[in-house]
Amino acid sequence: MFRRIVIGLALALVLGLGGFAAFAWRPSIAPIARPAASDFSADLVARGAVLASGGYCATCHTTRGGKPLAGGRAMVTAFGTLYSTNITPDPETGIGNWSEEAFRRAMHDGVARDGSHLFPAFPYDHFTKLSDADVHALYAWLMTRPAVAAPARSNALPFPLGIRALQAGWKLLFFKPGRFAPDPAHDAAWNRGAYLAEALGHCGACHTPRNGLGAEKRDAAYAGASIDNWVAPPLTGANPAPVPWTSDELAAYLGTGISRFHGTAAGPMAPVVHEGLAKLSPEDLKAVVRYVASLGGGDARAAEAAPVIAKALVADRSSLGPLADADARLYTAACASCHYNAGTQPNPLRPDLALNSAVSLSDPTNLIRVILYGISAKDGAPAIVMPGFSGFSDADVARICAHLRRTRTSLPPWSDLEKSVARIRAEGRGDY
Amino acid sequence: MTSFRINGRPVTPSFPDDTPLLWVIRDGIGLTGTKFGCGIGMCGACTVHVGGRATRSCITPLSAVDGADVTTIEGLDPAGQHPLQKAWIALQVPQCGYCQSGQIMQAAAMLADFPEPSDRDIDAVMAGNLCRCMTYIRIRAAIRQAAGELKGADSHG
Amino acid sequence: MAKLGHVSGSAAHPLARRDFLAAAIGTGVAFGFVGLGDAAIDPGNFARAVGTEGPVFAPTLWFGIDREGIVTINIIRAEMGQHVGTALARILADELEADWDKVRILHVDTDPKWGTMVTGGSWSVWQTFPVFSRAGAAGRMALIEAGAKLMGVAPTACLARDGKVVAGGRSISYGEIATRGDLSRRYTPEELGKLPIKPIAERRLIGKPVVAIDIPPKTNGSAIYGIDAKVPGMVHARPLLPPTRYGSKVVSIDDSAAKDVKGYLRALALEDPSETATGWVMVIAETWPAALKAAQLVKVQWTAGDAASVSEKEVQDRGAALIADPKAGSVLDTGGGDVDAMLRTARQKVEATYTTASVLHFQLEPVNALAFEKDGLFEIHTGNQWQSLILPTLAKALGRPEASIVMRTYLLGGGFGRRLNGDYAVPAALAAKALGRPVKMILPRAEDVRYDSFRSPSVQTLRMALGEGGKVLAMDHAATAGWPTQILVPGFMPKGTNGVPYDPFAIAGADHWYDVGAQRVKAIPNDLANTSFRPGWLRSVGPGWTNWAVESFMDEAAHAVKTDPVAFRLAHLTGAGRNAGGPPSAVGGALRQATVVKRAAELAGWGRALPADTGLGIATSFGQERDMPTWTACVARVRVDRKTGMMIVEKLTLAVDAGTVVDPDGARAQVEGAALWGLSLAIHEGTEFVNGQVRDTNLDTYTPLRIGDVPTIEIVFAESAEPPVGLGEPATTVVAPAIANAIFAAVGVRLRHIPMTSEAIMQALSHPR
Ligand code: FES
Ligand code: FES
Repeated sequence: MFRRIVIGLALALVLGLGGFAAFAWRPSIAPIARPAASDFSADLVARGAVLASGGYCATCHTTRGGKPLAGGRAMVTAFGTLYSTNITPDPETGIGNWSEEAFRRAMHDGVARDGSHLFPAFPYDHFTKLSDADVHALYAWLMTRPAVAAPARSNALPFPLGIRALQAGWKLLFFKPGRFAPDPAHDAAWNRGAYLAEALGHCGACHTPRNGLGAEKRDAAYAGASIDNWVAPPLTGANPAPVPWTSDELAAYLGTGISRFHGTAAGPMAPVVHEGLAKLSPEDLKAVVRYVASLGGGDARAAEAAPVIAKALVADRSSLGPLADADARLYTAACASCHYNAGTQPNPLRPDLALNSAVSLSDPTNLIRVILYGISAKDGAPAIVMPGFSGFSDADVARICAHLRRTRTSLPPWSDLEKSVARIRAEGRGDY
Repeated sequence: MTSFRINGRPVTPSFPDDTPLLWVIRDGIGLTGTKFGCGIGMCGACTVHVGGRATRSCITPLSAVDGADVTTIEGLDPAGQHPLQKAWIALQVPQCGYCQSGQIMQAAAMLADFPEPSDRDIDAVMAGNLCRCMTYIRIRAAIRQAAGELKGADSHG
Repeated sequence: MAKLGHVSGSAAHPLARRDFLAAAIGTGVAFGFVGLGDAAIDPGNFARAVGTEGPVFAPTLWFGIDREGIVTINIIRAEMGQHVGTALARILADELEADWDKVRILHVDTDPKWGTMVTGGSWSVWQTFPVFSRAGAAGRMALIEAGAKLMGVAPTACLARDGKVVAGGRSISYGEIATRGDLSRRYTPEELGKLPIKPIAERRLIGKPVVAIDIPPKTNGSAIYGIDAKVPGMVHARPLLPPTRYGSKVVSIDDSAAKDVKGYLRALALEDPSETATGWVMVIAETWPAALKAAQLVKVQWTAGDAASVSEKEVQDRGAALIADPKAGSVLDTGGGDVDAMLRTARQKVEATYTTASVLHFQLEPVNALAFEKDGLFEIHTGNQWQSLILPTLAKALGRPEASIVMRTYLLGGGFGRRLNGDYAVPAALAAKALGRPVKMILPRAEDVRYDSFRSPSVQTLRMALGEGGKVLAMDHAATAGWPTQILVPGFMPKGTNGVPYDPFAIAGADHWYDVGAQRVKAIPNDLANTSFRPGWLRSVGPGWTNWAVESFMDEAAHAVKTDPVAFRLAHLTGAGRNAGGPPSAVGGALRQATVVKRAAELAGWGRALPADTGLGIATSFGQERDMPTWTACVARVRVDRKTGMMIVEKLTLAVDAGTVVDPDGARAQVEGAALWGLSLAIHEGTEFVNGQVRDTNLDTYTPLRIGDVPTIEIVFAESAEPPVGLGEPATTVVAPAIANAIFAAVGVRLRHIPMTSEAIMQALSHPR
């Protein structure tokens, strides 16, 4: 979710500025003895737990199969590889000796306890909007986690990008500190959703495109972006899914990981749903849905669904039968047993590829990744699996993609599919 | 370390996470009813159920089934008397038999989604299961017979 | 035409000559496999286990009865989907008057006492029928005699039924007779030959529906195939195959990266005195997944053999050149006549050349073998169709006498001729010998395909001289392809009239039953094919191409003389002269073929009006062997989409006369499978030999027929009391020509290459002759 982030290419800009060093300097905050668990009420910790889920702390700060929150997860960015840090309360290698003030400064200003600037792979540009009360709860939760001794891995950033002080320049250009301000044009529920999505859930970190220096483009909020070798689709009206994202579909998708019309939450979106949103209270989830639905305006287009679905079910059959061409035969043999639908509605556990977002996006990356690497029982629809077809040649995968694009959409064909497959294969499966 | 349940029994096989589930089942757990045919997800001989859905185990890494419920042909029915198995015997579907575990597992999952499958439904859903002996005519007939039995059982019980 | 049984020295009914003993011969003598411990899993007996104690009464080699009356019948044929154990067991059980519920089948291991062990050519039932019926009859006589004595009545007062000897109101079970009776009676072969076989009306099992014994275990995962074989302490081998089948050499092996794989043991380059697995490297590991993973990391460099630069087109061009060479090949005895003169002088001539592409077996279970030495015996655990063929090769590879090697029998996950060639047993055996440990080898799919003895591509040119009234005066047929028999069993090749040996399996079918006046059939080995890859026998063997050519050509000839293709065939299936047929199995000759042609045509509505671009095409076959003909006819109904060239096979109608049908449902299953195989070969399969390897190595690009491709099929069998003949193959070869003929009827274009593709139709449609 974080990756494409940024570092100070701002360098060139800021080096010229007089007094930069003074500007960049932040004081160290004195270490404290690790607070005792009994310092925090159970209620507070419980609230913090929910917030931590909603902010996916553990997702980024845990390696595959590693100890929770002990850091070390690689984030491959366009600028180099960063590793998440240990945020368990271990005093030596974690944040056990951070006071709440130090923690709050990190969340709100992107500055570590020792005064160094954090890279914006840590989405403090969103967390800055969190209320003090929520930061307090998060602190309580973190400080009551088991401590794990795990030294930070050094980041593999080429000089001079690794110089943390230069992050100050980036902040100067792109970072606007400040708590969330409700929009009076909307009601409380919408504003609650906006708060959860923008401040805590940092949806924009993936779904908003970034500029050349890795900062979110404010004028293109939620317009869709590439992230972690996946595509985060637009959440705006520009979303190309044939069936509009109505509140009902968003509720199903964000609540369970499956929308019968759009597919399942795969790749980096899988933990967002299963480890994050799923833990929110029903009201909070509803609020998020309310907010996200408003971004794309899907409810107003609800009537478009029925004819599109009917058409999709017809398209489903187009790959069958003796007149099928070679690509259709490949698709049918490899995919139809799980993805074919009949009747009047697609089965949510048989994702209908005529409706699936991956097929209508302008970039085939998500489709190719899912074909090659599948979806595990923990991701997507819970407890079921899509196997990965990495035994197929690049040409085979390209044929299936091209076939779906040709028969299931009226969108222009994807170009250079075979090359894209080869590239994505070379990138490897990654963490998702 | 991946743990899952197979035919109701919890297991934590000592294979690397990227080991295909098929070989974990056959070589690790010792259930050989699930077969290897192509290794690329194109023959269906290796079909098992994961969370009740037909899944090609040859291209499913062990890590993908962490926490899941896996069912193999041996666990479909404790006595081998699933309506599909009965129909398979009554209509003498198998020839060499090598594909049939996969066919039956795929068909069983299909009947959950399509309790009264049309010919087209059968052709689409069973398309991933190759039968080199070409027992397709009987596979279709046996699926219809079992669907009928299941439906009868439903309406009486 | 020759068949394996003949040439190997056994008679057509090789088992009939055995000295049948009607004596109790001790417990378990015939049951090498049972009781062997670890690896001893009998594939045939999962539904109903063999009686614990073993038989106490074994009047012949072929079966035994235990104290509980369980009849265990020894089957030397491989079970690969034809339910052969059930089919053969019921022949014996019927004569024995056994209780079917007490019949068990045992697929036995190799032992010289069984004679030639081979399963192919649809011969199993045909060869076994006379032997097993007499063996059953001998058992019945002995049981009646002994039972009568026990009951104190005259044998003539007794009859046998349902596993009992009955006299009036009293009866005694076979189990009890086996336990208490005196069973020392011997039958000489002469006596055996004279034993009364029951009249057809008294048959209680033959021809009646029963559930095949092997079927239930094939529905619950308990059936055990070669790939399931295991033995304690075995290691796993994943082979890396050289670039060419012949002449490759290992230059270097770098396994440094593989050493990180847990369980990896070593990469072993095989030394093979039998030259079966030349250039193979076996990646050995403690587990199969580890072997798979390590194999990706072992880097081997080879030098390639000559085939590395050979392509399918060159093979086919070579075939065409050989056909043009008047000196090439072997001339079959087809009655002769001056074909050349006829062709020179005839008022009308037809000539056409037909080709077929390389075709893979793609049996679903990739080939595999488990091998180890134990107590001086080298054991090979694998499914195989022709144990007698590979044993000498194994002996050569291992450098030990054949008698010290045993092949343990397993179910075959498909045969189709692939496992007639047991070459895959050799690398496993060599590795086990080199390592001194049990080795289980599986060929991953791509390797299975690359090691396949696939069906050679072929070229055939046919010429015909036609006279007054469209009568055929002469026919010339020259066929060339890679010859499996020449490579694997040259001793099986009979000589042609010109003294040149030929591969009977590569030309079978060209010696058809049509009266064509002067007839010349020439079989020509394609030397380039033979040296570039290892051609194999594939379901229906030679007729896979010969019948494609003959039946397409008959259609072309009929159209040339403006005669209806059915009428044209019937006019030449008169049963005259050499086509009259005769006993034991070809009684009726060509007239029976004419009957199935008529039957299929009638059923398919031949002659009725059809929608646009839709046509019916007919083709017929006698199977492979003139002395074991299975009369088969097929009508295909095909619609062609002129815009795309796609052909939709709407219906296949088949009429089959296979003599007595021992197992009606099984017979139907075999014909269904064979016809769909034919359809698959006609329009869905086919690959190409490219630079030493076949192009397609897995199901992403090799595309056999799937369930959605199955057309409506109607199959009828002739009622017949003639001896039973094979059913597994003949229906395979009629489908492609029937479709080609239907395409011609539908849109007027003639395809002469299989597989037929929509591209070929489009091209033909855009270039009308
Ligand atoms: S072995 Fe898994 S689909 Fe073929
Ligand atoms: S029964 Fe042999 S592959 Fe299906």
